[in-house]
Amino acid sequence: MTTLFDSTKTVKAELSKQRYIASDEISTIVYLAYKLGKPLLAEGPAGVGKTELAKAIACATDRELIRLQCYEGLDESKALYEWEYSKQLLYTQLLRDKLNDTLGKAESLAEAADKLAGEEDVFFSNRFLLQRPLLKAILSERPTVLLIDEIDRADAEFEAFLLEVLSDFQVSVPELGTLIAKHRPLVILTSNNTRELSEALKRRCLYLFIDYPTLQEELAVVRLKVPDLNPKLAQQAVEFVQKLRKADMRKSPSISETLDWANALVALNASHLDKEVLEDTLSVLLKHEADLQKAKRQLMAPPPSPRPKPDEFGRFSGN
Amino acid sequence: MESRILQLISALRASGVRVSLAESAEAFSAVDLMGIQDREQFRLSLRATLIKDVKDIPTFEKLFPLFFGSGQPPMMGGNPMDDMTPEEAQMLAEALRQLAENLRQRMERLMNGEPLTKSELEALGKLVGLNQADNLNYQNWMAQRMIRALAFPEVREALKELMEQLAQMGMSRGRIEQIRDMIQQNMRGMQEQINQFAGERIAENLSERPRSDNVDSLTNRPFHALSDADKKLLQREVKRLAAALRTRIALRQKHAKSGQLDPKATIRANLKYHGVPMEIRHKDRVRKPKIVVICDISTSMRFCSELMLSFLFALQGQVRKTHAFAFINHLEYISEDFNGSNADEAIASVLWRMPSGHYNTDLGWSLNDFNSEYMDTLNGQTTLIIVGDGRNNYNDPRLDIFSLMSRRAVRTIWLNPEPPALWHGDSDMPRYAPLCNNVLKVSNLRELAEAVDTLLAA
Repeated sequence: MTTLFDSTKTVKAELSKQRYIASDEISTIVYLAYKLGKPLLAEGPAGVGKTELAKAIACATDRELIRLQCYEGLDESKALYEWEYSKQLLYTQLLRDKLNDTLGKAESLAEAADKLAGEEDVFFSNRFLLQRPLLKAILSERPTVLLIDEIDRADAEFEAFLLEVLSDFQVSVPELGTLIAKHRPLVILTSNNTRELSEALKRRCLYLFIDYPTLQEELAVVRLKVPDLNPKLAQQAVEFVQKLRKADMRKSPSISETLDWANALVALNASHLDKEVLEDTLSVLLKHEADLQKAKRQLMAPPPSPRPKPDEFGRFSGN
Repeated sequence: MESRILQLISALRASGVRVSLAESAEAFSAVDLMGIQDREQFRLSLRATLIKDVKDIPTFEKLFPLFFGSGQPPMMGGNPMDDMTPEEAQMLAEALRQLAENLRQRMERLMNGEPLTKSELEALGKLVGLNQADNLNYQNWMAQRMIRALAFPEVREALKELMEQLAQMGMSRGRIEQIRDMIQQNMRGMQEQINQFAGERIAENLSERPRSDNVDSLTNRPFHALSDADKKLLQREVKRLAAALRTRIALRQKHAKSGQLDPKATIRANLKYHGVPMEIRHKDRVRKPKIVVICDISTSMRFCSELMLSFLFALQGQVRKTHAFAFINHLEYISEDFNGSNADEAIASVLWRMPSGHYNTDLGWSLNDFNSEYMDTLNGQTTLIIVGDGRNNYNDPRLDIFSLMSRRAVRTIWLNPEPPALWHGDSDMPRYAPLCNNVLKVSNLRELAEAVDTLLAA
């Protein structure tokens, strides 16, 4: 570990080195989670940079990022471990001669059985254990960052199963006994809030709600990630997006969509936001047909004067 | 400081936020770590440890400044007499003398710019009954009453008079305005101080209020008589019921095994027989329960439709494959409204979209809608739940469709707010009932709980 988070300021600085702009709120709570060794539950609308935060933390602390993407039907064998039985079978076949050697010298049946029992551990060892993300994070020699992404997609049963892992950082494998984490991983759970998580899970976590950024914050992100976009256009674009979020859309554009859009504007070599550029690129921001129509109606409704002067484009960029 | 944090926690609990013991312990260790010098970090460390739901953040933000005020003395404008010439001071004293005695005292007080003392605030609070208030919605109202008790409106009138008086006496315009601004600023400072005090006191009362986590007190109360905190409690209870129901349905279906061979499990199971397949393993398909709920939200059902919809909402949170429908005179698919995580909003949006009219309930037609568009949602895994009173305004009950539906579903459950004794008139319930596996009376939380228990026992 090269970096130690030793104050909220260092957290902020280190995250910004990873090109992640953290608000005071985010850096304080990340620092708390780091210091208290508690899982961090990040909630908020899709695309505000929850997963990105985990990645940035992993890079900043120089830890490996282990990611567990949740989905409906995710179970223990996919999340924790599985015995690699085909490898076990293969080994048994290949080692048959060796086994004969070992057991052949035995004088009595009982001795052979004892000897075989002595070798049993070979077949139920870490070698044949297929590590899934959770076990990998626990067994890792070096501290890791464990990202449990979109926990709200997993079933309630899986949530309950996570509780043991998250509170004690240990898992029990019947054949091997209880495996305890060498280093407590820094756990980050994300949720898009599509369903309510259980009280028990929430209780074990620190809670961070990441909302859509303010105009200044978003502008800073756009400047950082899309440096090629000229500042004036960036300002206009971000103002436009902020205005879209205030309108009642089925799916409000997220930061990642703002960045896509900014990249699109750079690619199209746009110099300012006019009706044409907007119509061409709006589908990058809005993914529902109904939203697109609505945005076109509401935000571009005032018909442009026959020869729009440059300073009139402010109308489209929101004010 | 510690007792202050504990007070904040009990006030949060009294406002309906669920804070566990583990979480309050966590809050203390966070505060130990972050220290209390930086107010912002202090606030965030409390918030991250105590609040685990977006919906509760506003409550926290409202209560926090009341317990941990900014700690600064109220903004006072200072004393306008400091830099007056003797003549001006003379004029001011003269003008003040024209006012009534009590007003003059207050005016001088305002002019000196000294804030209210603690005991004065206490006395004011006592005067307006602040000690009985334990609802933050009353904060402004209480503050208004305290300000009125301080005779602020009269003071404002007097201020106008005073200014006119001074103008007549020939004080310069600039000076008069300066005096007025300062007095007004002092008044604002005092108002703020009073407002803060009222909020603090109410929050303290709130934290001392005995906890009323008692579900029993809710069960027999009509739904519209519940406060926000009670509603939260009720939703939690309903959620528990939905979870119980889900487990039950899942258990009933778990036992069903398909005949498919599971090669992985078979090989693994037969390793002990040296690979000779002596034990055949089948795929133990854990079948996910599926639920189709059809809910009547017509006028006759309005009194309990909020309760029922919150039950539907909780059910959908528990069982992914829930298809929820609501009907009055036609059927609407409402699962999409329930996709957020805020029950109140979801319920409001459904009720807003489907306003009730008069005598237009038509279950028959709604079943027809269901038949033509959604029949495929019912299959061998589906439990069908109907919520309604079965009052059909003498329309065709379409028993043919209903019997088809109940045949397609694994189980048909009808939750009816009316007891069988009332099933007459335009009620088609006697005809629907034989086609259901269970018919249960549910009109309040207690009965809902009983119904779920009955279903679990079945």
